[in-house]
Amino acid sequence: MKLFRRSRRRAPSFGPDSSDPELLAAVAAGESDALEILHRRHTPWLRARLRYRCSDTDQLDAALQETFLAVWRNAGSYAPRPGDTDAGAWLWTIAIRQLISQLRKRANRWIADVDPEPYETVGDASAEDLVLLNIEHGPLGAAMHSLSPELRAAIQATVLDGLTVREAAQILQIPEGTVKTRVMRAKARLREALT
Amino acid sequence: MNWHLTPAEIRAYAFHTADDVTAMSVEAHLMHCPPCRGLLPADEDWIERSWSELRDVVDRPRAHPVERLLRALGLGDAAVKLLAATPQLYRAWLLSTVLVLACALGAAHALPSGSLVFYFTAPILPLAGVALAYGRGVDPAHTLTSVTPMAGQRLLFVRTCAVLVPAVILCTLAALLMPAPTTPWSAVFWLLPALTLVAGSLVLSQWAHLSLSSGAVGLLWLLCLTALSGAEHLTPLAMVAPHAQPWWAVALAALVGALLIRSRMRTS
Repeated sequence: MKLFRRSRRRAPSFGPDSSDPELLAAVAAGESDALEILHRRHTPWLRARLRYRCSDTDQLDAALQETFLAVWRNAGSYAPRPGDTDAGAWLWTIAIRQLISQLRKRANRWIADVDPEPYETVGDASAEDLVLLNIEHGPLGAAMHSLSPELRAAIQATVLDGLTVREAAQILQIPEGTVKTRVMRAKARLREALT
Repeated sequence: MNWHLTPAEIRAYAFHTADDVTAMSVEAHLMHCPPCRGLLPADEDWIERSWSELRDVVDRPRAHPVERLLRALGLGDAAVKLLAATPQLYRAWLLSTVLVLACALGAAHALPSGSLVFYFTAPILPLAGVALAYGRGVDPAHTLTSVTPMAGQRLLFVRTCAVLVPAVILCTLAALLMPAPTTPWSAVFWLLPALTLVAGSLVLSQWAHLSLSSGAVGLLWLLCLTALSGAEHLTPLAMVAPHAQPWWAVALAALVGALLIRSRMRTS
């Protein structure tokens, strides 16, 4: 009986060339085709980037899978800024956190899983992001080259990946205090090299 | 963006040969530059495989609100599916129940002794629903369900409950809308007769087809009421009067007991 059937929410029209916010709006309305377009568009770079953080492809693929499931369930919570046509940063934050939870599952298989708590980030990521955008082309490139690999990894996790200290400690597998001191030391070195 | 990655940088990054600083630079650039992101080599086979795994989860049908409610009440998966699917079979009956009750209410309000119509019909309606919930003639999937492990008495009881609950709710609502019940309790006096009739038809269904036994019980009820209205000192309302309630309760307990003993004997 048509009378009782739930009327389907009308999804906004979309195509392979639609912007990310349009596609996410369609995903929120239950369109799996829109999710497929997003998947095709974003998995290659997400996978390449995650591979620099995790060499185990099984865990990496599992994290990617969980990422898109999270997108499917939470697409409605995506709030683009006006004029935003790209959801890359939003997807990346989901992906890196899914990877961390995968790694933690593997590491503490016998310990009950604890939910990640919000934790303060180190430094002002956006200002440093702007500098990092020109690493290769600016004086920062040489300064970064002079950093030891440990300090570079700490800067990468906290500034570039936008992780909290706790998350960075989990992905680098070092104590939180060590992350803090390494980030502080790395920033001091960079400041020294740039002035 | 006033600059873009060179193909060499992209290749080095994608194949994991870039050094740390180059990789960081590439990543910082990729976050803000969708065109360069699109230049990264994609493994089509892997994307295809990954998507087909995702699609299995994503395309799973979402649970109906009724299903979710029943599951929250702690019912098993099989029973939940069954209960949620049963209303598909008796929607027409549900609609006719509403219509009949509306007519009975209309009669009760319009005619001098119209409330009799309600007392005639209210106990029969759940019975009709039970008769139509299960059986060869009514259920299009009967031949399929009859060979499942759940078939037989168990399926019959589950479906009876699925029918009884909405029917009883509807009848109670209608009873509350009746003109001037003497006490609030008198509005639910039809409930015990209704349940007794249902239990009686379930007991009878051991020997006869469910529709047949329900029909017989319903006919018996109507005959009793007609006989009573023909009698000199009695009115049909005696059947639902307060002093008749204990008798109905006894009869209901006896019939339910018979059902329980029978199903116990079946399973042992």
